[in-house]
Amino acid sequence: MSEAILKLEGIARDFYDGRELRRVLKKTDLEIYPAEFTVIAGPSGSGKTTLMTIIGLVLQPSEGTIYIGDKKVAAYSDTELANLRMRNFGFVFQQAELIPALSVVENLLIAAGVQGGSISSVLREKSLALLEGFGLKQYSHVKAQKLSTGQKQRVAIGRSLINDPKVLLCDEPTSALDSESSTIVLDTLKRLSKDSSRGVVMVTHDPRVFPYADRLIKLEDGGITYDSRNSTEGGTQ
Amino acid sequence: MQGMRRFLKRWCPMRSLAALKMLLHDRSTTAGSVLGVVAIVFLVGQQLSVLFGLFNYMSVLVDHSGADIWVCTQNIQNINGAGFMPVRYVDRISGLPDVEWVEPLVFGSASFRTREGQYQPVQVVGLRNPRQACGPWRFYQGAQDALFDYEGITLDRLDLNVLGSPQMNHFYEIGDIRTKVLGITQSIRGFAGTLVFTNMVKAKEILKTPAGRCKAILIKVKPDTDISAMIGVLQKMFPRNEVLTTADLSRRTRAYYIKNTGIGGSFGFSTLIGALVGIIIIMLTMYTSVLNRTKEFAVLRALGARKIDILIVVASQSLIIAAIGIFIGFLFLALFLAGTLDSVLPSYMPTWILFYHAGFTLIMAMLGSILAMRRAIKIEPATVFR
Ligand SMILES: Nc1ncnc2c1ncn2[C@@H]1O[C@H](COP(=O)(O)OP(=O)(O)O)[C@@H](O)[C@H]1O
Ligand SMILES: [Mg+2]
Repeated sequence: MSEAILKLEGIARDFYDGRELRRVLKKTDLEIYPAEFTVIAGPSGSGKTTLMTIIGLVLQPSEGTIYIGDKKVAAYSDTELANLRMRNFGFVFQQAELIPALSVVENLLIAAGVQGGSISSVLREKSLALLEGFGLKQYSHVKAQKLSTGQKQRVAIGRSLINDPKVLLCDEPTSALDSESSTIVLDTLKRLSKDSSRGVVMVTHDPRVFPYADRLIKLEDGGITYDSRNSTEGGTQ
Repeated sequence: MQGMRRFLKRWCPMRSLAALKMLLHDRSTTAGSVLGVVAIVFLVGQQLSVLFGLFNYMSVLVDHSGADIWVCTQNIQNINGAGFMPVRYVDRISGLPDVEWVEPLVFGSASFRTREGQYQPVQVVGLRNPRQACGPWRFYQGAQDALFDYEGITLDRLDLNVLGSPQMNHFYEIGDIRTKVLGITQSIRGFAGTLVFTNMVKAKEILKTPAGRCKAILIKVKPDTDISAMIGVLQKMFPRNEVLTTADLSRRTRAYYIKNTGIGGSFGFSTLIGALVGIIIIMLTMYTSVLNRTKEFAVLRALGARKIDILIVVASQSLIIAAIGIFIGFLFLALFLAGTLDSVLPSYMPTWILFYHAGFTLIMAMLGSILAMRRAIKIEPATVFR
């Protein structure tokens, strides 16, 4: 068994809702492994997004510690967190969230050049190769807004891969798609999770995703209630 | 187009390219911000040009005198406030070494009688030798010869309407003295009214100048003469008069009018309003465009953009907007200046002020986008998950 790429220890998060502090994510320990398609499932409001954004260093936990590899992420500045995000994580959101002003290939390149610096021809070729892999090469120079929802989401996956992330974090990436597009996206994510240097984490409330999971985690009311890794039966219900 | 594209790809970092493309994408918002910059350039520039036009009127006679040094009565604050002094000083000065020429000058207010019998105030300038000192320098009709005629005067083209359309070679009365229009000058106007040039004798007759008196003495020194040393010598010679350089007198005259007529304050105020209008337009449009792009900035943040990257994106956007706005604004300003050249509206733009104006506008545009920048860097990456 391989080493965890990512480790959460006693992570919890509180939010103010109106007038009181509410614990949205209970104390959680979690390890993410490479070459695994990890699905975190739970009803709406169960804290999936909260957990995922904490994993992705987008949201600060109220308590607990995160390790990337065996390096502790502690009291980092905003800039250092941004650098860590850029180096370690790829994000796919519910909507593709492409920059409409940019062409398809530029939407991939901006993820590589978001901290400035010029774009090498190697990167350019890499992004074209990624698009080709998703069957989108002929749209490379089309404005992103011209694509269909399903195509956009595949571009977004391409964008999340451009910096070779250790972990791909996907927050309900299929919820806005029709079943055909969502099958394509799920197949793609499944294929990407086979890479031995990369873990894929997907958050969903859709039980149809479960069969794709190598590891299934269930979240209810901000707490993990089931983890197929710790159960002897494996990832079925 | 293709070459341009390749150039941008190679040399423009993706971050700045994205900034530029976002602007081009939201054309109407961008146009709004550009309009703000154009408003600053044009409104402020237009005010400045009128102000500088008036400045020119204030000291027109001094600035075009061709002299290096002026001898006037003591404590002179403004050339039009000069008192009388003896003409014979001219002979004493001309005896000095290093003097190229010395000329007396008289001027003062008088009434011009129009054909219909109305009276209009004019400023009469009397010259002994118009080719040397203070001679009218731009003619629409006639030439400096007009001032060698016993009764000859010049009027300005821009003032002909006010004076009831006087005609060349016709006779008109100024201060009850008969004069003959022998020249029409082109855009030579004074602050205190129409400038009428004539010869020394006729001017003294019109202005009833006491015998042996003049209003100022103008001196041109030989090349390579130390002017301040010369002023020292002259000041010692005429301790009860004031000796000063042409530039000093010009400055004093302008300062006097700015202080005592309220022109400074009034122009300062309208310039401020122009800048304010522009900066508010920029503020609102830039802020709106950042709000509209909240999700995009949040995505960039999630992808690894630091606050500084977001700041650079918004700052480059305001720089691009400022550059476009300044370009268009100066085009409009040039049209305005070309249109008001030789018109009754005073307008003049010294070249050096253009650089300050462009710099000022750039600073205003950046100030206007500070709010937008502050908003942009506060956008949390978590926003994109909501
Ligand atoms: N920024 C926030 N401020 C206040 N409450 C929040 C915030 N983000 C999430 N919550 C609350 O936390 C709970 C879990 O939210 P979330 O993690 O988005 O759940 P899920 O993604 O599973 O639908 C919800 O009740 C939500 O209202
Ligand atoms: Mg969610």
